[in-house]
Amino acid sequence: MGLPLFSVFDTVRELGWTGAVELFRNGLALGSLYALIALGYTMVYGILKLLNFAHGDVYMVGAFIGFGVLNAFGGSPAPTIAILPLIVLMFVVAMLGAGVLGVVIERFAYRPLRGSPRLTLLITALGVSFFLQNSMLLLFGAQFRSYQSFQLGSDNPAAFEPGPLFEPVFTIAGVNFQRIQLVVLATSIALMVALTLLVAKTTLGKAIRATAFDHEAAAMMGIDVNRVIAATFFIGSVLAGAAGVMFGLMFSQINHFMGFYAGLKGFTAAVVGGIGSIPGAMLGGLLVGLVESYAQGYLGGQWSDIAVFAILIIVLLVRPTGLLGARAIQKV
Amino acid sequence: MQRRGHGPRISAALGALLVALLALAAALGATANQSAAATAAADSTAITCGNRVSIGFAAPVTGPAGPLGQQMARWGRFAETRWNRTHRLDIRLVLGDTQLPDTAQAVRVAENLASNEQVLAVVGPAGSQEVQVSTAPFRRGGVANISGTATATTLTAGSRRGFFFRTVPNDAQQAARAVAYMRGAPLRARRVVVIDAQNSYSTGLADAVQRLLRRAGARVQRQSVNESTVTDFSSVVARIPNDTQVVYIPWQLAAKAQQFGEQLRASGRNATLFGGDGLYSPEDFKLPGSYVTAFPVALGHPTIRAYQRGPGRGSSDLFGLPSFVAVEIAARAVERACANGEATRAEVRGFINRTVIPRAQSLLGFRISFQQTVRPPLGPGDMRTPAQYIVYRISPNGQFVKVG
Repeated sequence: MGLPLFSVFDTVRELGWTGAVELFRNGLALGSLYALIALGYTMVYGILKLLNFAHGDVYMVGAFIGFGVLNAFGGSPAPTIAILPLIVLMFVVAMLGAGVLGVVIERFAYRPLRGSPRLTLLITALGVSFFLQNSMLLLFGAQFRSYQSFQLGSDNPAAFEPGPLFEPVFTIAGVNFQRIQLVVLATSIALMVALTLLVAKTTLGKAIRATAFDHEAAAMMGIDVNRVIAATFFIGSVLAGAAGVMFGLMFSQINHFMGFYAGLKGFTAAVVGGIGSIPGAMLGGLLVGLVESYAQGYLGGQWSDIAVFAILIIVLLVRPTGLLGARAIQKV
Repeated sequence: MQRRGHGPRISAALGALLVALLALAAALGATANQSAAATAAADSTAITCGNRVSIGFAAPVTGPAGPLGQQMARWGRFAETRWNRTHRLDIRLVLGDTQLPDTAQAVRVAENLASNEQVLAVVGPAGSQEVQVSTAPFRRGGVANISGTATATTLTAGSRRGFFFRTVPNDAQQAARAVAYMRGAPLRARRVVVIDAQNSYSTGLADAVQRLLRRAGARVQRQSVNESTVTDFSSVVARIPNDTQVVYIPWQLAAKAQQFGEQLRASGRNATLFGGDGLYSPEDFKLPGSYVTAFPVALGHPTIRAYQRGPGRGSSDLFGLPSFVAVEIAARAVERACANGEATRAEVRGFINRTVIPRAQSLLGFRISFQQTVRPPLGPGDMRTPAQYIVYRISPNGQFVKVG
């Protein structure tokens, strides 16, 4: 458990540039997932000032929906349709399913309590989280379910040869970048850009920003506040659904409890970046992913969570509003 | 002036300290007496057996270790059903969810079970750390507990004699077997990375293996990762030197070990994975070329096949199997204690201690009885028969093939 300084230097020297690039790659991929989850937290907080602790469980449900679609088409390693359309279908169904779940949660759990004290909403969010977690436990059991994405489409799954998702696409400093890591990175960036454009350029985005600024004034200007809030939940949950499928494809193993820790990290990312700020959530997610990866690589697994939460504490002490919370705030 | 002024104050402080120490000693003495009295009272409280008696069952059925706890609970319920089908005295399992790694919850469960007068014995808890914290409540209640999963060698060092029993071999037995195989042909491991999973089971086994490997002259790098909370092992993999021959992972979540193995392979590293009995789960851990040590199990036994067809839904859930044996031992002891219509916890403890299950009836594949004295690596409460661990290699079709 000790952290002798020389041992850290030794590890850095031993891993060299290859190790540094490898950890950067890992951190970037993980951070992209955290960023997508953080966006959901930040959007809901922006519009309702609610810390939606059920968000991590929406992500978990998204992962299970993706798993269901995968198995509906024969499952890994040899699905009945081509891999690309299968993955697209998994994303679409999981995103829609998670989006609808988000709307249902808002409609039946949060909307009736909208005028209540914030603490009531917060406790309700925790209740919804436990409800979702235990519902999945009852429905699917506690055991892990595997996407078996490593062998998905593999020519020789029995010999454990990787499928196309885990084939290296290019190499930098001796480090392979696998297709799945690039898919996750590209999809995350595309979704973040789409969200930014939606909020900045569309009528819905304008309505979201107006509602986030002042519910009553927005309503007086003819905006259907209920619909806008439901749309915000839908969008945030869609992103969580996408993150759930990405997680399944990248790390294979899912279970009913996976949303708890991912939600915690996503929430940390949102706070570090400045909760309520969309660019902040992206930055926070990437930062948390990178810190976790480098801490795990250079200091050891027992230090990774300490490092992540130390960053949170430091940021809150130095900039209580988060990294982009005050200066470049973009309320949704 | 100042010195003169301090003298009486120091004397007063020392006096107060002495009084406080005496009071503390008296309180401790009283507590010890109360504890002994409580145990004695609980020991001698006889309950009427009637047609049905209760056995506690402590397992982490929810929380991060839920997948393991559910296996144990399924095997426990299976044992209950089978026992009740063939015996006049029915047993009823009283389930307590210990939510590993929340040891405070394990203490609460132990206290609840110990204070329930109807409970004559307890099966569980699961983790060695849970056994450690549950000892006091169980002792106070005079109730014996039999764990089907706790393997830390120190648990049977002597202090729990007559109260704690287990139906799995201990870490010292397993570590010796694993290291002997790693150092011999075909692995001949000289450079090994040991990664513990930050829990009592894993660190105990990892420590023992690391010590034995170093003593044998191997280069060992130690890492640590929380298998329950970590979702991405790629940065742990990044730390593994390319010339590593064996990565030893004494983990319990086989699905996470499988994920770790996939990430190890995806990184291009060729090290062989070697796991402990926690990974003896052919349904979840199936990385070809990997090894696991596991205690002997009579795989062809009709009971295991019946479990696969029934609650296992095709899976044998071997991690939970020793909990079946533990329930069986507790039920046999309770039945014998109830021979005259009444039973006390002391009687049940005594009968558990004198348990004998012949080899032909044993699901573990060997005769089960308990060690009475310290005789390293065994201690009181360990199974007396030297349960030699078996080494399995995972074949390309995912089968566990016995290789040593």
